[in-house]
Amino acid sequence: MRIEQHPILTFPAGKMVKFTFDGKELYGKEGEPIVAALHANGIKVIGHSHNKHRPRGLYCAIGNCSSCLATVNGEPNVRTCITPLCEGMVVTMQNGKGVIK
Amino acid sequence: MNKSASVVIIGGGISGNAIAYELAKRGQKDIVLLEKKFLTAGSTGRCGAGIRMQWGTKLNCIMSKYSVERYEHLNEELDYEHDIEFKQGGYLMCAATSKEMEQFALNVKLQNSLGIPSRMITPQEALEIIPYINTDYMIGGAFCQKDGHLNPFHTTQAFANAAQRLGVCIEKFTTVTGIDVDNGKVIGVQTDKGYIATNVVVDCAGGYSQYIAKMAGIDLPLYSQRHQILVTEPVEPLQGPMFMGFAHNIYCQQSPHGSFIMGRGDDEEPKDGRITSGWTFLEEMAKNCVKLLPLLKDLTVVRQWSGLYNMSPDKQPIYGHAPNVEGFYMASGFSGHGFMFGPVTGVVMAEMILGLSPTVDASQLCFDRFEKGQLFIEPSVV
Repeated sequence: MRIEQHPILTFPAGKMVKFTFDGKELYGKEGEPIVAALHANGIKVIGHSHNKHRPRGLYCAIGNCSSCLATVNGEPNVRTCITPLCEGMVVTMQNGKGVIK
Repeated sequence: MNKSASVVIIGGGISGNAIAYELAKRGQKDIVLLEKKFLTAGSTGRCGAGIRMQWGTKLNCIMSKYSVERYEHLNEELDYEHDIEFKQGGYLMCAATSKEMEQFALNVKLQNSLGIPSRMITPQEALEIIPYINTDYMIGGAFCQKDGHLNPFHTTQAFANAAQRLGVCIEKFTTVTGIDVDNGKVIGVQTDKGYIATNVVVDCAGGYSQYIAKMAGIDLPLYSQRHQILVTEPVEPLQGPMFMGFAHNIYCQQSPHGSFIMGRGDDEEPKDGRITSGWTFLEEMAKNCVKLLPLLKDLTVVRQWSGLYNMSPDKQPIYGHAPNVEGFYMASGFSGHGFMFGPVTGVVMAEMILGLSPTVDASQLCFDRFEKGQLFIEPSVV
């Protein structure tokens, strides 16, 4: 799903770039939030909760709630709702608390 | 609220609750504990929650060893339904200068003679313990596996629950407004919820100890200084021990939950009782942490806060009674290490108040040491 028309906001046509999610090659608009690109590809589950392992994804959309955390280019706990998509990004679902190495 | 009590304890942190429990365990009845807000609202709930036995004086080694050994079995001893989360991941003390190394060597010798299993380490050995230390800033250090970290909220609650089961009355959201003294003797405590007649008051009000003492006409040579601290988002377990450096001005550890908790001191911090938090700390802390533990650069800070160090002239607590006001006891001036000394504070104060022979002789930490000029100098204190 991608909003094309909106009464207030405009969405200029952007360059489509390749990225991966859990190894799967996908395309999204350069500069849009990572999570928006995932949604446009039909991917809504981005991680799982720590204790009960329930599905988690886009929730607050302003970088506050920690619901959309994923590992991006090896860095854990990236807020995908406020992080712009770049060419070649490697996004992986984060299960558990994230690993730094 | 009770109209009278045999003992009124002022302060609902680790010290107050431990003293209440130890008094009740020894058969003391009619104990009331007063807390202005909720339990752990003051310095206890704001502290870094580390505990170490790596001290440079015999008494501090003995007191901290006693506390660690009690914490090891505290869940069972207090029959606590949750977990105080005591993690003995160790303390890695980083030496930045040869002077620090010399001091650590003396400390380790002393600690070993008292049965504390600490040892000197080289930078190479430090890397085996925390693989991402930047050893450019480290010439050596000391390590003790039995040191660690525990949850200040659960630990205090464990003491409080056990004390209440033994009949201690805990009054929260009750502010002490005055202490009545007649003929040099404590006769009662005024609060915003009523008056309590008592002949024994124990001041363990942390950062507010000196103001409580003032109500009884006692001048404590203490001041309260702000110290800041931060916590990051949790990540999977990575760091076993607390990393600590005096010259580097850092302590940094990973809690069992996965978050990193770190802090530093700053002489410029205000001493007016404020517990706000600022950008300067965040910037300096981040710089220092990334310099010494570069891997942690990707952690996201979620919160920072501050609390009060109740500082005494020699950065050591006062365990004692006021010389000119009978019945006024104090466990104050912990200078940043009150939480880790919780169990020993409880025992020392309870035995002092009840006139029992001491399990741990802490008489060097009496109130009149300042007047007599017998300061208790601890070389390894923040």
